[in-house]
Amino acid sequence: MRAEPPVPAEVLARVRAPFLEAGAALVDPPVIQPLNLFLDLAGEQMRARLFIVQDEGGREACLRPDFTVPVARLHIEGGQPKGRYLYEGKAFRVAPRGLDEAIHPEEFTQIGLELYGDAAAPLADAVIAGIAWRAASAGGRGDLAIKFGDVRLTSAFLDAIEVPAGAKAKLLRALSRPQLLNEVIDRACAAAPAPAEGLEALADLPAAKGVEALETLWRERGLESVGGRTAAEIVERIARRAEAAKAAPLSAVQAESIRSYFAISAPIGDAICRVEALAEGLDLTLACEDWLKREADLGLEGVDLSRATLEPGFGRAFGYYDGFLFEITSQTLPDSAPISAGGRYDGLLPRLGGGESAAVGCIVRPARAWSGS
Amino acid sequence: MTEPLILALPSKGRLKEQCEAWLASAGYALETAGGGRGYTAAIPGLPGVSVQLLSAGSIAAALDNGEAHLGVTGEDLLRERGEDIDARVALLRPLGFGHADVVVAAPAAWIDVATMADVDEVAHDFLARTGGRLRVATKYNVLTRSFFARHGVVDYRIVASAGATEGAPAAGTAELIVDITSTGSTLKANGLKILADGVILKSQANLAASRTIAWSAVQRETAKSLLNPDEVAVFAKLIPG
Repeated sequence: MRAEPPVPAEVLARVRAPFLEAGAALVDPPVIQPLNLFLDLAGEQMRARLFIVQDEGGREACLRPDFTVPVARLHIEGGQPKGRYLYEGKAFRVAPRGLDEAIHPEEFTQIGLELYGDAAAPLADAVIAGIAWRAASAGGRGDLAIKFGDVRLTSAFLDAIEVPAGAKAKLLRALSRPQLLNEVIDRACAAAPAPAEGLEALADLPAAKGVEALETLWRERGLESVGGRTAAEIVERIARRAEAAKAAPLSAVQAESIRSYFAISAPIGDAICRVEALAEGLDLTLACEDWLKREADLGLEGVDLSRATLEPGFGRAFGYYDGFLFEITSQTLPDSAPISAGGRYDGLLPRLGGGESAAVGCIVRPARAWSGS
Repeated sequence: MTEPLILALPSKGRLKEQCEAWLASAGYALETAGGGRGYTAAIPGLPGVSVQLLSAGSIAAALDNGEAHLGVTGEDLLRERGEDIDARVALLRPLGFGHADVVVAAPAAWIDVATMADVDEVAHDFLARTGGRLRVATKYNVLTRSFFARHGVVDYRIVASAGATEGAPAAGTAELIVDITSTGSTLKANGLKILADGVILKSQANLAASRTIAWSAVQRETAKSLLNPDEVAVFAKLIPG
């Protein structure tokens, strides 16, 4: 397990300073976290990146891969509707084999901030990105750039060009894995297959009759209902698939629009113009106006807008972001090693069993922010 | 006296017998130390070889970790060592025995599910409906993860399976399984079916060479004496002297 080289105390203090101005409570969540929680949130792909520990009885837990989820759990336990949390400590992630360990240490320090409640878009977005920018810049690197994405804008765009719900869900899931995107688009363009032989009959029956017919079919074929899905659910999906097979698949025009959308990467104003041009005549006004407000606020928060890019289809592997998100990178570090990252995840607390809450947060990695001299 | 070449062979069962038959067909006999229960063996016709008798899983680990030069073990066990196993182990020859397919199987009662694309949709619905992920019982974490990722399936969870994986769906501890099968009859008996595009790997026993162990010139020559000319070429390319 490779740790980071130490960062001089005065550099650490400079990087920390913008976070202290936010007036947040310092928290220190447990290093050891429930494994299932992370896997349920982020999926099985996450397992390869987690340090998994076992107690003698074989119960599994993991070392925290970041602070967002541990802090969210503290917030829920605290029972308050609002919260501002500051943290500074180590997080742990297994480095994929073949990556440079000096750039991807497995034990690394993060300084971060999480705001729950009082965090409405777009102002809180700009505040959080401003803190991240000032902290990242404090490490002495002069070559930083900040890249923004926006899951909510992407969702609104797909709605505006009337992408069917199933295809939309798949596209949004592919956000964190761009290499899959083209494949998802291609698949959505292909006609949905008609129900397999013998299933059309089931598809046309009213629900109750369908269940009866399926159970008869099971008996005839000597099948037993095993595995987490009821007859009603199976019949319901067969009917839905039959309906989808009749509906027009994603059109070539839609596919082209989607590809163009995901190719956008430009200064914020230009990027928004291009999104509006793509959705010509369709109502994206709200999402686009939000970006123009956000851009003005980002400037006020000290973000160098000449170093800012909006790539609306940009996603991150730690996929709980559901609004705006960003990464700050340096030209001298690979893109896979951002100095800072953050964004909005209003949906996170409900997924962890908490109440609805606006939520934004960001982290900076001081060892990456430090220019080394 | 130079260091011998370490050859790791299966220590028991049908795989061991098949390995002995394979060696016999090449004109070599395996002499186990201490009768049938020893952990080392020798091949009188190959004095530069020290044979270690290990479980198939340990052989895969030994080749991966550079503790054996050559070994015979299942491709499934080698691939499960990591997606980048080819960088550490060279598969030289499929031996024509120890056949087993690593497959994705779903409940046969799911008549609407035939392919991985169906699994993707069902998994997504399952997550939306229950807030939990579809569970896949397996001992093949690495193979499962990379295969599911290739098919764009993300809404699932692996549940570790120590023993009878195929029983997990009936027992209610998983919805799907990834396991080896040779005939499919055990799956059928447990109410499961293999997905049309659900064959992850058609595995069989392989003669494989470690790329992480140090090879002396003598050990390389000894290894080559066990290989045919094509395999010697592969060996020379992947494990340059």
